[in-house]
Amino acid sequence: MAQLTLEKLTKRFGTSIGVESLDLSVNEGELVALLGPSGCGKTTTLRMVAGFLPPTSGRVLFDREDVTQLPAYKRATGMVFQSYALFPHMSAADNVGFGLEMRGLNAAQRKTKIDEALKLVRLSHLADRLPRQLSGGQQQRVALARALVINPRIFLLDEPLSNLDAKLRAEVRLEIRALQQRLGLTTLMVTHDREEALTMADRLVVMDGGRVRQIGTPQQLYDSPVDAFVADFVGRCNILSGRRANEREFRTTGGLLLPTDVASSERDDADAFALRPERITVVAGETGEVRGRVQAITYMGAQTEYVVALGDETLVAVRPTPDAGEPLAALKPHDAVSLQWDRKVPRLVPQTSK
Amino acid sequence: MALLVVPACLLVLALLIGPMILMFRISLNQFSPTQLMVQALSPDNYIKAATDPYYQQIILATLGIALLCTLLTLILAFPAAYWLGRMESRWKSLVVIATLFPLLVGNVVRSAGWMALFARDGLVNTSLLKLGVISAPLEIMYTTKAVIIGIIAVVLPYMILTLSAVIESIPRDLEYAAANLGASGARVFWRVILPLSGPGVAAGSILVFVLCMNTYATAVLLGGPRFKMMAPAVYDQFVRGNNWPMGAALAFMLLAVTMAFTVFGSVAFARKYRTG
Repeated sequence: MAQLTLEKLTKRFGTSIGVESLDLSVNEGELVALLGPSGCGKTTTLRMVAGFLPPTSGRVLFDREDVTQLPAYKRATGMVFQSYALFPHMSAADNVGFGLEMRGLNAAQRKTKIDEALKLVRLSHLADRLPRQLSGGQQQRVALARALVINPRIFLLDEPLSNLDAKLRAEVRLEIRALQQRLGLTTLMVTHDREEALTMADRLVVMDGGRVRQIGTPQQLYDSPVDAFVADFVGRCNILSGRRANEREFRTTGGLLLPTDVASSERDDADAFALRPERITVVAGETGEVRGRVQAITYMGAQTEYVVALGDETLVAVRPTPDAGEPLAALKPHDAVSLQWDRKVPRLVPQTSK
Repeated sequence: MALLVVPACLLVLALLIGPMILMFRISLNQFSPTQLMVQALSPDNYIKAATDPYYQQIILATLGIALLCTLLTLILAFPAAYWLGRMESRWKSLVVIATLFPLLVGNVVRSAGWMALFARDGLVNTSLLKLGVISAPLEIMYTTKAVIIGIIAVVLPYMILTLSAVIESIPRDLEYAAANLGASGARVFWRVILPLSGPGVAAGSILVFVLCMNTYATAVLLGGPRFKMMAPAVYDQFVRGNNWPMGAALAFMLLAVTMAFTVFGSVAFARKYRTG
């Protein structure tokens, strides 16, 4: 396994920006996820690493070797495609063996490695099936085995879970992560699914419009986003625009005063107040500093969501569903409530960082 | 809904099947130089067409030229079809029209153009002579070469469009995946693109083969009077020889040979790709 380094990697399509001056390094054995909305440049980046797309400028390095000019077939990256891209005219075993064949291994050598790889993804019994005779989850595992069997220098995942149903996705997510850690694979993953990114990645790169917004661990991005875009993209977030009123309060454009601690936010140009729904405590009755009226209550099983109107603004709070008999359980729309939070928790951030 | 097919079926029945039955009946008649067609029920014409070395040679030549042209067309068409199939530009429909453009010119007019190019004092010879590439004019007109070039020029668009439709349906990711696994461009072609183009290769080849087998104008105009292929031979029997029974028998021979090869090719192909 190698270390992956991107230096000022840039791709322009005509005059439009695909990726702009991306600097990133993925350490040996680390899983880094590129996260962002479609068109943010994450897939373009992955394709440049794989060698499918030549960069306009900048460099791609595997360890210290500059591979920017190396054609895709000499790069030895192992990629799992969103569509799986299994060869429809080859059996699962032949798909897995394709890369080995290209490396000049003879049939006997291939057989040993194919068996090993299929065993790794628990598909030994389906080796002779054609891709169309396999379920989506099985196809995905063949694609995994095919990418891993060649001992890739860099492991690339392009939205690997987006074609699986929700239940399977959670399962495969853990499986890929376990495999990646066990084999120590240097991995670059592309996803637009924040849950996928948060649960699988060592570090996340949030991208938008071809530029990096923030790089950090899942916790850093979730708890300390640099701007409202990142705050919103890595998880649900109440974002209210306004200005800080004083050291201990933020004034929204609607004139609402919200408790905060300015010392916990570094930036002077902050014009947004970001607070995650699960950080807000809801108390029945008008007792606290921030008072409002319940607009809607949505039962979501283990959790319940409260939409609370505070003058012209609304805040969403998500709490564990209360047991019957608790004061919150009796709450109805239009009831008066108070909202509370640790004043160190809200982030004061710019709407967009430059 | 099924009723909507009725008019087309009736048309085919009246204008294709009907004449064919008539033709078949005629092919069993006999020819007399004085009375022309004599009513009979005999397989003599078929026996003659199958055993007379003169006709045997024409059938074999036609088959050989058709197979060779199909193969050459396939080879020539593939790169163009790939390029067209992978094209994402908004000009794509224009390129498709440009590909079809040669078909807007009838075979006779087109062959006349080729004659102007290939003649002893035609454009090709004059240019090459003036440039000093050759010292004596090349004999292209009235050779098999000229016919093959002429035929390929006619059938190429059919092959390109058939192939490109299939290539377009092969996901681009499969090529990327193959490259990702270490396959160079040539190996991506042999191991992924070509096998997956199978249905297009089969459909295009059958279409082109049938067209080649039935070549008329190109064979007559570029091949000259001594060059024989089946379709001109059929015409000769009907018009020059006034021998309708023999002409009809030859026409059915042509149909039978064409169908035999087409069916054989399809079956062989289906067997090879049954699992694919």
